[in-house]
Amino acid sequence: MTNITFKTLLAATALTGITATTVAAQEIDYGSFADYTLRVKLIGGAQYEPLYARIAEWEAMTGATVDVLSRKNHFELDREIKQDIAAGSLDWCVGSNHTSFAPQYGSIYMDLNGVIAESTLSEFQELALQNSTVEGRLVQLPRHSDISNLYYIKSLYEDADNLSGFKAEYGYDLTPPETWDQVKDQAMFFADAPTFYGTQFVGKDEAITGRFYEMLVANGGALFDEDWNPTFNSAAGVEAVNFFKDLYEAKAVPAGSLNYLWDDTGLGFASGTVALNLDWAGWASFFNDPENSKIAGDIGLVRAPKGSAGIRTGWSGSHTFSITETCDNVDAAASLVTFLTSHDSQMVEATAGLLPTRAAVWDDAKAQFTADGNDFLVEVFETYAISMSEDAFTPPLITPWIEVSNEIWPQLQAAILGEKTPQEALDEAAKAARLVMEDAGYL
Amino acid sequence: MATKPPWFWQREKYTPYLLLLPAVLTLLFVVLVPLLFSFYTSFTGYRLIRPESLWEWVGLRNYRRIFADGDFWSAFGKTIIFLTIALNVEFLLGLGIALLINKITWGQRTLRTIMMFPMMFSPILVGYQFKFVFNDNIGILNNALQSLGLSDGAIPWLVDKYLANFSIIFAEVWMSTSVFAILLLAGLFAMPRDPLEAAKVDGCNPWQVFRHITLPFLMPFVFIAMTIRSLDVARAYDIVDVMTGGGPAGRTELLWTLIARTGYDNARMGQANAMAYISILLSIAFTYYFFTKLLAARQYMGGAE
Repeated sequence: MTNITFKTLLAATALTGITATTVAAQEIDYGSFADYTLRVKLIGGAQYEPLYARIAEWEAMTGATVDVLSRKNHFELDREIKQDIAAGSLDWCVGSNHTSFAPQYGSIYMDLNGVIAESTLSEFQELALQNSTVEGRLVQLPRHSDISNLYYIKSLYEDADNLSGFKAEYGYDLTPPETWDQVKDQAMFFADAPTFYGTQFVGKDEAITGRFYEMLVANGGALFDEDWNPTFNSAAGVEAVNFFKDLYEAKAVPAGSLNYLWDDTGLGFASGTVALNLDWAGWASFFNDPENSKIAGDIGLVRAPKGSAGIRTGWSGSHTFSITETCDNVDAAASLVTFLTSHDSQMVEATAGLLPTRAAVWDDAKAQFTADGNDFLVEVFETYAISMSEDAFTPPLITPWIEVSNEIWPQLQAAILGEKTPQEALDEAAKAARLVMEDAGYL
Repeated sequence: MATKPPWFWQREKYTPYLLLLPAVLTLLFVVLVPLLFSFYTSFTGYRLIRPESLWEWVGLRNYRRIFADGDFWSAFGKTIIFLTIALNVEFLLGLGIALLINKITWGQRTLRTIMMFPMMFSPILVGYQFKFVFNDNIGILNNALQSLGLSDGAIPWLVDKYLANFSIIFAEVWMSTSVFAILLLAGLFAMPRDPLEAAKVDGCNPWQVFRHITLPFLMPFVFIAMTIRSLDVARAYDIVDVMTGGGPAGRTELLWTLIARTGYDNARMGQANAMAYISILLSIAFTYYFFTKLLAARQYMGGAE
């Protein structure tokens, strides 16, 4: 089958009203690329791997072979891609990408408008596509999205001693928190270091910058003003830093939090030693799996709490796939990317709790969970659906975002550890961020 | 009939140079050219993600920024402290292990092999291993201390200013002490027996024999090990990156974690190369120091002039 036929068939699929929700993968023609080897670089990690098992299916359908050159975590993959740009060795076609990372790569990835069939794009959520667009170019096709909500150990909120003790100490009823002030109170109440902690947070890299950023927004602040002057060293910023600092000083979070990334917090909550955990949807199945988690069957979930401005935290982004401008077989690359973000592929990812970017998969996954009697994942999808539609916001989609983030997080650590006051730390970060923005031509 | 003189490259005295030429050219290509190129980039605004910036000459701007950058000098100072402590601890432990193994008459080869195991691990694996050993919440060390009743709190091994640096040095020492041990053991094997026996005949006690005969003989081996290890430790990156990432708040930031973040995460390769060239001064200083000590030790032993 020719490449033209591949595109035509995809378009015809939409024209005849047969959506991907009702068509099994094997009924869609992904084209024929016999004897072609497609070179790809993918994000690796336990949550992301099940999808790759489907690549063999695409190979069988198309006759092509997929050569996975890399399967690393995103920070390592980012370094590798930057080296490829510098060396001029972008001799591969498909790469994992992320809405936070994409803006810094300039024009190495092609605009997928016109490459991916319009009928296919129309099945994706509009916001996910919008967040995947950099300077008017759709440089990535969203694979799944991320936003965090608050997991908690349910039995702690049903324990009579906890209910009465908390009321006596704080003067209001112990219920799953609606605000970050309540999270702080409850985390301090539950904490009993070193055997049990109230909550936890990721403490380094873009991970803590992101957590600070969403607290800043929730408190009514902003990273930059409309002219790109850094403004995060505001009262809202100081309030956000104090949230982390107070919890750390009260030993309500593990002492090593400042070295934690997502795996550490995920495993920590699953170990049953943490009461409240703001985390991604992708961990939901893991938390509720008795083989991995000591709190399986005892997990509650509420939307991310509100900051002092009455806004919920909702730092969000999407894991995506991009196609390089230098790709020697764009149709094969488009075919694989379409396959890996197809309805069936997203159903595979949804089973782990990863949030789909195709609108129909939300409903179909929920229906599947209901049919399977998996009430927990139904609750997860209902909660995260509201967050994605009402609370989600991305970091600024600007080239120097990661560099600005790298100026912020060491200063946040210094403030949390008490080496600087929150105001001093944020002022220094803002000064360094201004330099980055000046160098990048924004100021 | 007079024979035609050979071309100059066919003359015997040039043969060694001709034979060495391929090696010299290869070295120039793989060592000198990249060095000169990276030195050039340290005067540019080279950004990894903008290859065209390779030609943006910024003069001494990168160096001026670095000289005014407190974070760089803090990492520089911490690298010197890290080097000094790690090298001395590795030397002392390596010497002790070498002396003990030298005394053993049975199973020595097996012990020598076992001793080399830590060297066989990738620094990244060693970093992960000790990251989990020193984890405050689920780490084996804290759990052991709490179970034995030696601690009732979660000791922040990888967060506290002193403990975090101790933990990293511990991992580095665990991995590399055997380098010292092996080199010093080779020195002990090569040691002539006559001076030792003469000292015993003269009534020296074991400490005096060690202090005045064994140790001076071993010092050239010590300084060779110090030179090799100082170059390695000054480039320490993997273990630190995995265990703490240079944090928190720069508490364990060494030169190469800072340089890697500047060059790769922030894509400022011009500035990172400028940092690397300043850091080379550190390696040169340590190498020069150990080399002069090596020469002095060999002269003391009646060796090189």
